[in-house]
Amino acid sequence: MSAVWATARAAVRRRKLQTFVIGLVALFCTATVVVSLALLDAMSAPFDRAFAQQRGPHAVAAYDPAKVTDAQLTAARDGVAAVAGPFAQATVEGTGTDGPMFQGPLALTGRADPGGEVDRLDLWRGRWVSAPGEIVLAAIPEDETSFRLGPMSEVRTVTADGVPLTVVGWAYSVSATADGWVTPEQAVALKPSAVQMLYRFTGDVSTREAVQQRLTGVATGLPGGALLAAQPYHVVKEEAAETAGVYLPFLGTFGILGLLVAVIIVGNVVSGAVISGFRHIGVLKSLGFTPRQVVAVYLTMVTVPASAGAVLGTALGVAGANPLLNETFQGMGYGQDTGVQPWVWVAGLLGVPALVLLAALLPALRAHRLSAAAAISAGSAPRRGRGLRVQRALGGTRLPRSVSLGLGLPFARPGRTALTLASLLLGVTTVTFTAGLTDSLLEVSRIDAEAGGDVGVRPERFEGPNRDRTSSTRTDQEVEALLRSTPGAAKVGASRGRTVPALGQSEPVHVNFIRGDTAAMGYQKQLLEGRWLDGADEVVASAELLNKRGLKVGDTLTLEIAEVRTTVTIVGETVQGLPGPGAGLFASWRDLGEGDPFEFYYQVELAEGADLEGYMAAVRAADPGLTVWDNSDTTDVAVVVTGFSTVLAVLLAMVAALGVLNTVALNVQDRRRDLGMLKSIGMTPRQVIAMLITSMAALGVIGGLIGIPFGMAAHRLVVPLAAEAAKVTFPDYVMEIWDPVTLLLMVVSGVLIAIVGALLPARSAARLSIARVLHNE
Amino acid sequence: MTTETVVRLDEVRKEYGETAALDGVSLTIRRGEAVAVMGPSGCGKSTLLNMIAGLDRPTAGEVHVHGERLDLMNETKLALFRRHHLGMIFQFFNLLDDLSALDNVALAAQLTGSSAATARRRALELFDELGIAGRRDVYPAALSGGERQRVAVARALMNRPALLLADEPTGALDSKAGEQVMDLLIDLNQIGQTLLIVTHDERLAHRCASRLVELADGRIARESTLDRV
Repeated sequence: MSAVWATARAAVRRRKLQTFVIGLVALFCTATVVVSLALLDAMSAPFDRAFAQQRGPHAVAAYDPAKVTDAQLTAARDGVAAVAGPFAQATVEGTGTDGPMFQGPLALTGRADPGGEVDRLDLWRGRWVSAPGEIVLAAIPEDETSFRLGPMSEVRTVTADGVPLTVVGWAYSVSATADGWVTPEQAVALKPSAVQMLYRFTGDVSTREAVQQRLTGVATGLPGGALLAAQPYHVVKEEAAETAGVYLPFLGTFGILGLLVAVIIVGNVVSGAVISGFRHIGVLKSLGFTPRQVVAVYLTMVTVPASAGAVLGTALGVAGANPLLNETFQGMGYGQDTGVQPWVWVAGLLGVPALVLLAALLPALRAHRLSAAAAISAGSAPRRGRGLRVQRALGGTRLPRSVSLGLGLPFARPGRTALTLASLLLGVTTVTFTAGLTDSLLEVSRIDAEAGGDVGVRPERFEGPNRDRTSSTRTDQEVEALLRSTPGAAKVGASRGRTVPALGQSEPVHVNFIRGDTAAMGYQKQLLEGRWLDGADEVVASAELLNKRGLKVGDTLTLEIAEVRTTVTIVGETVQGLPGPGAGLFASWRDLGEGDPFEFYYQVELAEGADLEGYMAAVRAADPGLTVWDNSDTTDVAVVVTGFSTVLAVLLAMVAALGVLNTVALNVQDRRRDLGMLKSIGMTPRQVIAMLITSMAALGVIGGLIGIPFGMAAHRLVVPLAAEAAKVTFPDYVMEIWDPVTLLLMVVSGVLIAIVGALLPARSAARLSIARVLHNE
Repeated sequence: MTTETVVRLDEVRKEYGETAALDGVSLTIRRGEAVAVMGPSGCGKSTLLNMIAGLDRPTAGEVHVHGERLDLMNETKLALFRRHHLGMIFQFFNLLDDLSALDNVALAAQLTGSSAATARRRALELFDELGIAGRRDVYPAALSGGERQRVAVARALMNRPALLLADEPTGALDSKAGEQVMDLLIDLNQIGQTLLIVTHDERLAHRCASRLVELADGRIARESTLDRV
């Protein structure tokens, strides 16, 4: 065994507390870094990875079967690297006969298997179609519980243009190549209107134009007019980026904060450990160790616990990140590819130890240059005091002496204090940002919950051979009356949604004709601008609709309602629209005659303390033809972001507390003699603890006061960015969540982090043996 | 000199693992006495001092100081006891580098709850008495060894202790400074301050102490009365 290794090992054993702190900080830093990097990585290209994994098509093309044969399509491979198809594609009028889903046109593709060279589907539930009469529906993967509790579990059959199809599985295509898949024979039986080809091209496909050029190349040898439509993958990618963009600002902020905290803490811990070890270094030199060997001893000494911490931290980070990633990205459909990537493992295992080495190297090189005598004296000679004026001023105050001494301690080691303050500041910034984020999201959720009511109800038309429920026979007034009379209901709103043409608009507009308590269920209260509608010629629009259509309050729209042209004025903008396509407009109720039961939607706000499950069960029992669901849940985004934020904030606060622990441990190490003296002249153990905790609590207050504006700034910057990505507008009060009590709590959080970090070494200092300290001169 | 007992050790034994640092030591010190404890390295001098100062606990036996039984006290009570009844000076002074000489001394009174102003007034009196008034605002790093020890003595006397414990008080001083400290200790004893001096320095013992206790292998080998030189 080399002298360097033997000495480093002995030093590790001798410096148990420092070794423990370095290991623990490395562990938490690594865990934080791994979680942050995993999130940043997942956010950087979640679509790209899912797309690559599924070998998504660069272009989805639909051809006219009347003008081109399958053989011609198969033969046309100019610039094509891989192809899937031809698949017969039928657009049918689909109806879910057992639940609220699938109302409207469905694009069904005949496909023999979910694999292949292109568009390898994620068959996440059930099996693939094996015979006519079966269908696999497209949906974003859900876990067992979500699926079982959600509306998809109720969909067992789908009627496609009157043909009943049994749902045998659920699959996901990141490229959204179809709404459902049937056997090729079944597709033919559904009278396909197009033939689908899925292409992966060679060469540059980075832009829409490049893909279009490749498509043109493929179509060159085909009959003219054969290509009906084609969609480059950029369309889906941009849609995916829109969703991911909501998360990116939050996660990016935490990632940056995590890395900053990691760098500061590691630098503080290791520099402190090396500086407090100068005397040891001097002794080694006097024994004949070369300067390089001394540096090697020291670097080995800190690398051992750092490496052990990094290994455990990586495992912890991966264990923590995986469920978070799955939880987040499964909702977006990337769940199949959201594990922690290998490079993140490598970064975790090597990054923090490398950082520790780097941080240790600078002070170790200082020891490298020192003579043995100077190194020894650097660790033990009496120091010239620092922050003397402050100490003197504090000594003259009325504060208890243990407190005033504690307040003066940070001035003795300004560099160490600055790093500790920085870690506390970042800790408070994180806590403040998280608190603001959580409050804003809770506010958004509250708005959402308030506007959505507690219970959603929709009458269904159950048809098909597999139906096991009867359709509701109640009129809409009778349904409303039933909901009002069921015990627990406080407010009941009814709406009838209809998509109608709007003159001058490229797409039709969805209008919700409302009556009852709909307006009073949050929508009217949540007006961002203007006023609530008052009359048949006035409408109120959601922010989402206005943002997407480029409309504003005061604009008029000419709608064709029940074949009658009606000009309406947008008199108000709301945060939320009613559930339905494009959020829709609010208009006053009017008689539109007979209609599909699915047009009617009811939402119920329950009285305070009412039993939600009991109410839903009572409605279902009274009319099995009604689909009833819980509308009171917090939004997915709120749950995910709040979950992420809380975990990361706790991690970062713990790391900050470890930084404090290390500082106090080093201060105690440096001031053992002083502490012994103070105890010898009558300082009680409690006073020792008070002194050391005060020294850090003071930094906690300063860190809190400085960190709060940073956290608030991050909140003010990040939340609107996410809202912009989601194309929603929040009322101002969503951002105005700061009040004196909350801000005071943030300062307290800084103090708490400081106290938690300081408590352990302070207690240990209180138990120092005076005899041993004072006689170990 | 009164006959009031300030220190009484009854059959005190202190073991560190298998080794007995003190082995049945009984000792009494009366008010106004100046007792020197001498002996070779490892004989138990520092351990004896630690027992009397309440810095360590005996394995067996009883330690009575100023009428209180220290071996039964918890850490907090011991701290309070030291604060009010004991003063200690050390070989290496143990002054706080960050505090001026005056604040180092005042600290002892401030810990008892005295206001800063009261503590500084009392400290200034001591600075005058000890002849270091001109050095009150100087920091320890700028003081000579002798001056530092005087400041340490002032701090030890701040709360008018019943017993002043000195652990090799001249060990880190040159001969001139050592002489000055010896003179100071003699003066203090002559005005009634009870002293216990642990030292290797025979000259210190013979100049300052009225009684010499010699330790060997954790036991009192000899006790003798001294005529101060």
